[in-house]
Amino acid sequence: MTRSSIVSRMVVASAFTLALAGCTSTGDEGSNTTGGGDDAQVVKEDPSASGDGCTLEQYGAEKLELAGATVGFSQSEPDTAAFRAAETESIKSAAKEVGVGKLIVTNANAELPKQISDIQDMLNQGVEFLIVAPVNSDGLDPALDAAKEAGVPVLTIDRKVTNASCEDYIAFLGSDFYDQGSRAADAMNEATGGEGKVAILLGSSGNNVTDNRNAGFKDKVESDYPGLEIVVEQTGNFARDEGQSVTEQLLQSNPDITAIYAHNDEMALGAVTAIKAAGLKPGTDIKIVSIDGTRNAVQGIVDGEINAVIESNPRFGPLAFETAQKFYDGETIPEDVIIVDDEYTTENAEADLDKAF
Amino acid sequence: MTTTATPPTRAEAETRRRRGLDLDWVRTNGVYVALALLFLLNVVWTNNFLTERTLLLQLIQVTPVVIVALGMALVIGTEGIDLSVGAVMALAAALIPLYVGYGAAMAILIAVLVGFVTGSLAGSMVAVVGVQPIVATLGIMVAGRGVANLLGGEIKTIREPGIVSLGSESLLGVPYVVLIAAVIAALVWFAARRTTYGRQLVAIGGNKRAAELAGLPVKRVVITTYVVAGVLAAIAGVLLAARSQASDPTKLGQLMELSAITAVVIGGTPLSGGQVRIIGTIAGALLMQLIFATLVFHNIPDSTAQMAQAVIVIAAVYVQMGRRRSTS
Amino acid sequence: MTDPTITVTEPRTATVLETAGVTKSFGGVHALRGVDFSLAEGEVHALVGENGAGKSTLIKVLTGVHRPDGGEVRYRGGRVDFAQPAAAQRAGISTIYQEVNLVPLLSVARNIYLGREPRRYGLIDVPTMERDARELVERLGVHIDVREDLGRLGLGAQQMVALARAMSVDSRVVIMDEPTSSLEAREVATLFDVSRSLRDQGVGLVFVSHRLDELWQLCDRVTVLRDGRDVHTGRMDGLTRTGLVSHMLGRDAGELARDGATEFGESHLQGREPVLSVAGIDARNTLRGVGLTVRPGEVLGLGGLLGSGRSETVKAIYGALPTQAGEVIVDGRPVHRNSVRHALRSGVALLSEDRKAEGIIPDLSVRDNIALAVLPRMSRMGIVSESRIDKLVETFMGKLRIKASSPRQLVRELSGGNQQKVLIARWLCTEPRVFLLDEPTRGIDVGAKAEVQSLIDELAEQGLAVVLISSEMDELVEGADRIVVLRDGAVEAELDGADLTSSALLAALAGDIAQADAAAQEEDR
Repeated sequence: MTRSSIVSRMVVASAFTLALAGCTSTGDEGSNTTGGGDDAQVVKEDPSASGDGCTLEQYGAEKLELAGATVGFSQSEPDTAAFRAAETESIKSAAKEVGVGKLIVTNANAELPKQISDIQDMLNQGVEFLIVAPVNSDGLDPALDAAKEAGVPVLTIDRKVTNASCEDYIAFLGSDFYDQGSRAADAMNEATGGEGKVAILLGSSGNNVTDNRNAGFKDKVESDYPGLEIVVEQTGNFARDEGQSVTEQLLQSNPDITAIYAHNDEMALGAVTAIKAAGLKPGTDIKIVSIDGTRNAVQGIVDGEINAVIESNPRFGPLAFETAQKFYDGETIPEDVIIVDDEYTTENAEADLDKAF
Repeated sequence: MTTTATPPTRAEAETRRRRGLDLDWVRTNGVYVALALLFLLNVVWTNNFLTERTLLLQLIQVTPVVIVALGMALVIGTEGIDLSVGAVMALAAALIPLYVGYGAAMAILIAVLVGFVTGSLAGSMVAVVGVQPIVATLGIMVAGRGVANLLGGEIKTIREPGIVSLGSESLLGVPYVVLIAAVIAALVWFAARRTTYGRQLVAIGGNKRAAELAGLPVKRVVITTYVVAGVLAAIAGVLLAARSQASDPTKLGQLMELSAITAVVIGGTPLSGGQVRIIGTIAGALLMQLIFATLVFHNIPDSTAQMAQAVIVIAAVYVQMGRRRSTS
Repeated sequence: MTDPTITVTEPRTATVLETAGVTKSFGGVHALRGVDFSLAEGEVHALVGENGAGKSTLIKVLTGVHRPDGGEVRYRGGRVDFAQPAAAQRAGISTIYQEVNLVPLLSVARNIYLGREPRRYGLIDVPTMERDARELVERLGVHIDVREDLGRLGLGAQQMVALARAMSVDSRVVIMDEPTSSLEAREVATLFDVSRSLRDQGVGLVFVSHRLDELWQLCDRVTVLRDGRDVHTGRMDGLTRTGLVSHMLGRDAGELARDGATEFGESHLQGREPVLSVAGIDARNTLRGVGLTVRPGEVLGLGGLLGSGRSETVKAIYGALPTQAGEVIVDGRPVHRNSVRHALRSGVALLSEDRKAEGIIPDLSVRDNIALAVLPRMSRMGIVSESRIDKLVETFMGKLRIKASSPRQLVRELSGGNQQKVLIARWLCTEPRVFLLDEPTRGIDVGAKAEVQSLIDELAEQGLAVVLISSEMDELVEGADRIVVLRDGAVEAELDGADLTSSALLAALAGDIAQADAAAQEEDR
């Protein structure tokens, strides 16, 4: 449906010459991007992660005692998405833990201009440290400039901006999406016993999460699992109903499919509905592996309809404040702080259901 | 098919042809030709295409677009536009999990009622207050989506058996959703072609001032039209939720307004109002669905797929604009 | 000159534009059936004919709007086939249409130079454009601010802008389709002056008008079209009015004479109670306490100059113009103020002056246009009865002699006169007690005009109360039993019986005795 919608957008644009382009692309991009593990994040022990790193001195900021300080958090998308809700909640509780004096939270509702004005507002309200979940990789410059001018360090989480690290912002905290794809391939090998014809439900096109989760999966399959054959890949735009529609079509066009790799849980859940409607058993006739770790998907593992979920932990709070503390303690912060993402399988799904978001 | 009560006479068709297979003809019939060609192409070139299951699947998947587009066609016939349909779908779907405790029928009734309310609101703003349709319905689109998020919160799975079976079961081999869409299409066709309301609608869209001076109940007809569009959008929202067994206030029906407008335009209804092409609209929706299926069946990458669709839409818009030139 | 019956001695000038055997048909109706027409340099050539005779089609063929089905168009000696109007215009053929086809929201200057704006650094050179435009309109003797939005000007002024536009492109041929229909007398005089000076510069002009007097004033030659054929071409001088009209109608002049049905005036109306009585209508900025009465069977003329409030009065009666005060009573029952629907239900119908904007629904068929106002009556439980509509439409198409290939032909494809008849049919379907006719004969040709005029008489005889607005004094004086003259939104005079003369009407219109005398002299000439 969305494919035609993109085209429809052109109809409207050309027929009315109407700037409907303002329709915000609500964030499949962000809402599924990151992952997390346990309640406290674990920094992935990988020395190769990130370049030279960043220190307080290099960044040129004043030293700050986080306890009692005023901190701002600019959330990118509405908390109706489970991922966002968990992320916001995590920042809030971690702030309380650290003893932050005042935490100001804003939500840009997936609109870049709103995020920019949100951040400017928070600067006016005197925040001393900023955590930003960017709406978009580009275009946040006015807000970042304003923060620099005000001498307020910025830590970005879950989506990396294209600006210069240690200059416009301290560091990026997030998942390694390529690694998630790679681990999904491992899980797929496990679920299928190494033999199968795989269909991939892609995320939105032109999105680095989609690209990395796909490349990680395909590279791993190519190098390690010759028995897995990728027969088709089509976009489901990270949405449940589109995942369902596309899967329904795929089951007709490629009746020999035995496994589906979905770039996020929502599309996997859509695939489950489609497979059932076709009279097959999801998880048995057709194996399903996806990425995210939402409660619905993990419940799907418990119910035997999904085989594995690579988790993306949204609980950035503890890691964010830990990184901030290290920064003010004078330690070197790597450009990319990568978290180890957990994994749900038939073995641990039931026990870990409560960890799912 | 135009809304003039019967098809053009042979003489008229004859001259139309003599004017040189012109854009007018393409505009009216292009969608059927394209649909037939694409269908035949698939029959020949696509594996597993000509199966009952595959064909039925296209009908199932196209239902929400068809239902919404039928309402849109009526609104466009009045020289209006309804951008709120996608948000109304989400709003209706968001109410299902909230009221499903009272039973499936009650939940559906309330969901459809919401379409009535938003439609009345949009219609009154347009007809009584005189707000431009695009502005009035844009407001409802934004507000409706907001309320849906507020009421619905995050995505909810629907397990109520009545609603699940509405989305997945069949009567005599025909899925309920397809049956419902067919009945709605027949009703809308009848309303547009055979009723006083339908005749008055196209007259209003064709020349509103003249219709007023002819004593037509302009306000009533316009409000009714937006109500119909709202109710149809709500029904589409319910069916989509029933089919995906989930209600996602953020994503359900997103950009549906544009899909619906596209179906109407490809179907040959001019955006300038005064005509309603019901069969053309259905064919337009089917064409888009078939394009989608073709692209998936042949595993065409997304970027190519978007370009292919862009070409079709630009062609449709070009034909439309050509028409405007020729009549001006 | 290909017409063998006409011999023109001394072809004094070269032919600039001509057609040979041009044919064209639409929707099964043959609009042109082999027309030979030729326009010489430095002449004003009248093109006349009844509605549907093919004038508009011929003009559209000449200007590239339509392509002929057969025959050819020659321009300055060579065969041409203009793909679109712009091509004809570039070649030097300009057209001024009866309905001004300009952009109301742009300035006068922009309209004159639309598409050919003088440019400087890639942008429109506004000062130059406005200076040139000012010069041009001054040459026309019109005083308008060229920076004003066109839409704010009166119709007459807009027409002059259209003429200025035609002049500005250095045309070899100027085609004027009903240029005078919306002009006031002074503007007509200016237009004629300009036309003559263009002619003297060697430009060929084609002039279409339904005001026959104008033809003798301005034109050198005339071509008469009837049923898509050219039936007469010749010089204007020497041609009598009757001769011309009989060419147009293909009938004897005798048949044409109107029967003077209005002559029996007072007697048959005496003693009848008015079916329509209007009192004290006030409308912001337009009407001040207008009142009038009409008896059954009476034709009440409503006179006045442009802006006097004639159209506003009938609209107010019909509920289509918001009024602040006033009373409208039909058959003894008050009509709700500002409600078209109630006025209609009370038996009032209004044939609006602006056929295009307020009358026809162009993309609907003749049939649907006729039945529009009575759909509920043609329906049962909200479902339309096609057979009842068919019967009704058939009756009226026959009665009013509406020319269309079928009832399902789109109304926009009909000629102006036939569109007008469709609208009259629409209103007659409502079985009105009071029929308000605002310029019912504007923009339609002599034949249709006579038909409409005698139809009005007929309707009155059947007991309908008619209010007739017309800018043509003759039509008003001859057609009405009584005339109410408006001036500045108020009733100025009422003419009745012996007072019902052209000179009295002129005096009342002008509101000035001296002018009335002058007018009387004019009439004597």
